[in-house]
Amino acid sequence: MIRFESVSKVYDGIAVVDDVSLTLERGTITAVVGTSGSGKSTLLRMVNRLVEPTAGRVLLDGTDTASVPAADLRRRIGYVIQDHGLFPHWTAARNIATVPGLLGWPRAAIDARVRELMLMLQLDPDVIGPRFPHELSGGQAQRVGVARALAARPEVLLMDEPFGALDPVIRQQAQTDLRKLQQQLGTTVMLVTHDMAEAIRLGDRIAVMRAGRIDQFAPPAEIIAAPATGFVADLLGEGDRAFRYLSLQPAARLARPGAADGPVLPADATMADALAEMIWSGRDRLPVAGPDGHPAGVCTRDDLIRAGRPG
Amino acid sequence: MTGALIGRLVLLAGVLGFILAPDSFVPLLRPFAPDGMPVIYDRAGFGNLTLWHLGLVVAAIVPSALLAILLAVLVTRPRGAEFLPLSRALVGFGQTFPPVAVLALAVPVVGFGAWPTLIALFLYGLLPIFENALAGLVGVPASVALAADGMGMTPRQKLWQVELPLALPLVVEGIRISAVIAISTAAIGSTVAARSLGEVIIAGLNANNLSFVVQGGLLTAGLAVLVYDGLGLVVAAIRRRPR
Ligand SMILES: Nc1ncnc2c1ncn2[C@@H]1O[C@H](COP(=O)(O)OP(=O)(O)OP(=O)(O)O)[C@@H](O)[C@H]1O
Ligand SMILES: [Mg+2]
Repeated sequence: MIRFESVSKVYDGIAVVDDVSLTLERGTITAVVGTSGSGKSTLLRMVNRLVEPTAGRVLLDGTDTASVPAADLRRRIGYVIQDHGLFPHWTAARNIATVPGLLGWPRAAIDARVRELMLMLQLDPDVIGPRFPHELSGGQAQRVGVARALAARPEVLLMDEPFGALDPVIRQQAQTDLRKLQQQLGTTVMLVTHDMAEAIRLGDRIAVMRAGRIDQFAPPAEIIAAPATGFVADLLGEGDRAFRYLSLQPAARLARPGAADGPVLPADATMADALAEMIWSGRDRLPVAGPDGHPAGVCTRDDLIRAGRPG
Repeated sequence: MTGALIGRLVLLAGVLGFILAPDSFVPLLRPFAPDGMPVIYDRAGFGNLTLWHLGLVVAAIVPSALLAILLAVLVTRPRGAEFLPLSRALVGFGQTFPPVAVLALAVPVVGFGAWPTLIALFLYGLLPIFENALAGLVGVPASVALAADGMGMTPRQKLWQVELPLALPLVVEGIRISAVIAISTAAIGSTVAARSLGEVIIAGLNANNLSFVVQGGLLTAGLAVLVYDGLGLVVAAIRRRPR
């Protein structure tokens, strides 16, 4: 659990983080969204003390982070940054081994852990392991960065625009992978992004930040249904709100008994996927797959449109 | 590519050949020597003089490099940043002083011999190594430095494991420049009685024997080119195999 208590950071008389109080529950993903310069990275870096608060405190599982030596604290917290920041003179495998190395793990334990992580992140240890960062694609480098952050089994993972440098296709894949990984490991994730769609897709809760303050801190559905300020509404994009709302809910939820023609919608499709499929294939009823992959019912256009309006 | 390599090998063979068997070059050099004068310098062996010459360079450049790197590290630490302009000025000042002036001023203090030359080479070596080490340390990408901190490296671990290895190619590049400057400057040291290949040139000038001047000059130049190339290979090797 990460807890910010009235935390502020002042640079040259300006509070770039201004009296923020926030509690991030253990085992959840919290997405911090906001425009450039709103203080997202500064807030994030106060968790691992790359930035020291001017006022207030940050607690990690109840312990004041200021009471832990910075290097020890950071070795317990995973950190992923936008340009991955891999050490260019070390191979991918050695990069991943950084924190276990600093912690003095035995050689064999480090090697085993590096292999395990690379497999977990779909990186072939024998092919990618010996490569240097400049020999990796953007997506591979990003995954090596995540593996490095997770190497010492941190309970908390800080991610500062981790997907910022990826193209849209790889990016979506990386988001899906992160979600799976997080559920598998139960890590507490704090993720900074300026992409509301990403925040909605990944966040259990979203903190919307503007000029150093939190405008709203709520689950995605609530943010979409009831934006607390005009700024939050602007970030959502008025025209897209219905789609964003649909994108949060599984289409299977709308399934009613019956049958329909045409390709079957996969079980994990969202309502937004279902609507897009209807528009594209010119149908107004779609068969929806159940957990076993066989059609379990139909989803109708009217139901979808009703579901796109919160409340 | 192969042409350059062949050129280097020929040069190496020429320099080694002259050091080991200077007499075999008599036919080439005879036209430069006045009648009745010796063609090959014979008051000291060329192997000896070359070792002295290179010894001076190494003895000056090693401490020079250590100090320059130390300074560059200090001024790139958060607490040392305010000393950056001062160090720049100090090191640059060493460079604006002509070598001959350093020799002349050093003699009254430390006497004739190797010391004035060592002092001059030491001072002239500082600037290129300092500036290059500085560029290398400052040039560590911001995201890499941030990652090093974020992973929990102590400042010392960050310096030894990340910053210095990344700056290494530029540091060696600086040493390369300093070494070449030092090889030519060391020759001047013989004006204040340092043993070096310069003494062959000076003997030639004193006796009006162009052959001495040519052999001393060419040998010094050959050494400089070989050292420059050799350190160039070292830089290339470091860049190719980062670690
Ligand atoms: N070390 C610093 N010294 C002075 N000002 C700083 C420092 N770090 C950040 N700032 C300022 O604080 C403000 C917030 O910066 P921060 O990096 O937290 O924003 P951000 O929300 O992460 O923006 P972006 O989306 O562009 O990364 C900016 O105006 C920035 O200029
Ligand atoms: Mg930022």
